[in-house]
Amino acid sequence: MNTPKPKTREVENLLRRRSFIRRATSGTVIAGLCGGLYVLDDLLTGEAKAENRSDGRPRVPPGQRVLRALKPMGGTPGSPNPSDFSLTVYGEVERPLTLDFGGLLRSENVELEVDVHCVTGWTVLGARFKGVRVRDLAERVGVKDGVNHVIFEGAHGYTANVRLGEALAPDVLVAHRLDGRSLARPHGAPVRAVIPSLYFWKSAKWLKGIKFVRRDEPGYWETRGYNNHADPWLEERYA
Amino acid sequence: MPEKQAPRRRLRWRPWLRATHRDLGYLAVGLTVIYALSGIAVNHIEDWDPNFNNYEETHQLGRALPGEDAAVAAEVLRSLDIDEEPADVFRVDTDEVQVLLGTRTLHVRTDTGEIRDEGQKPRLLLRIANWLHLNRGKKAWTYVADAYAVGLLTLAITGIFMLPGRRGILGRGAIMVLLGAAIPFLYVVLSGGP
Repeated sequence: MNTPKPKTREVENLLRRRSFIRRATSGTVIAGLCGGLYVLDDLLTGEAKAENRSDGRPRVPPGQRVLRALKPMGGTPGSPNPSDFSLTVYGEVERPLTLDFGGLLRSENVELEVDVHCVTGWTVLGARFKGVRVRDLAERVGVKDGVNHVIFEGAHGYTANVRLGEALAPDVLVAHRLDGRSLARPHGAPVRAVIPSLYFWKSAKWLKGIKFVRRDEPGYWETRGYNNHADPWLEERYA
Repeated sequence: MPEKQAPRRRLRWRPWLRATHRDLGYLAVGLTVIYALSGIAVNHIEDWDPNFNNYEETHQLGRALPGEDAAVAAEVLRSLDIDEEPADVFRVDTDEVQVLLGTRTLHVRTDTGEIRDEGQKPRLLLRIANWLHLNRGKKAWTYVADAYAVGLLTLAITGIFMLPGRRGILGRGAIMVLLGAAIPFLYVVLSGGP
């Protein structure tokens, strides 16, 4: 007969119990660690929420959670090759301009620490972007009277509209470096726009053009239910 | 004897409804799988990149890499055992050369020999599904998506009347329909709406 001996069954049960306890303990430890990490990350948000910006607004806009690094948020990638890069600054301007990557590097570059806020709810504080101020490019091309908006054009027809005053803020950049390193592909390499005062979808990746216009032209997300302005402090997420 | 009248044929519309529902259901399977999978993927875009698997790693050659850009690129590719012709080699800074390959970029520090290897591997099926779902291709897909939406409406409405309930339209079906409709209604009320 094949019936196991009682002693063997006892041992099997013991092993089963032991394995159950082991698995349950590992599960609890992993869950605890994950919870701990989440709480630690939230400490980051809590600390930052206590701070204010120089304009008096809280450093972290409502509904945002602070992360340590930018998240890749998709989009249809353009060419990451610096040799393919060409930025056209045009529209209602006196002297349209086209810059290649070398031209961008030779322009006056600045490195700024800025906070960026994604509409999906994450914020990164003190991201160090290097690039050329849109304001300086605007001066070079000579923006005509009556211009009210700036359209940032990315690869494959992606566009984002920004009010002129906000596009010419001193922290708005055509950026090619982040935290001391060249932009990575998921973040729009070789060059992206950075408009810190608006939700990050306005900061077009794989930047190809900057167009100055008199009449507003709602862009890719703005025509798909997202807010036309996108102020994070007013939680202007959706239309 | 008066001639016997042929009995009037009753219009049997339910079998037609069921057939329509069944065939539309078959037609919708492919598109529903695409839209459902992509919907879940894109809904959680804050947690992951639904289109690409992004990676980044660092290699250390442990020596400076002087010389022309092309020579630097050749040396790096040989050291990392990469058998691919670069699409571009570009010096982006005094001490940094970028070697661009099909789906990855090697950022080479020529002064230290450190190489940041980053790239994106497309999630093949999901990327295509997302492309279709978000209608990034535009053109004819708009018509397909519109037709699918009309198809779903037809499925929903024919579904209500397909099987006669014991208590007609006011039985179990009505309760389920109301429950389903209550979900978006309650969500809007409780969340405060747009």
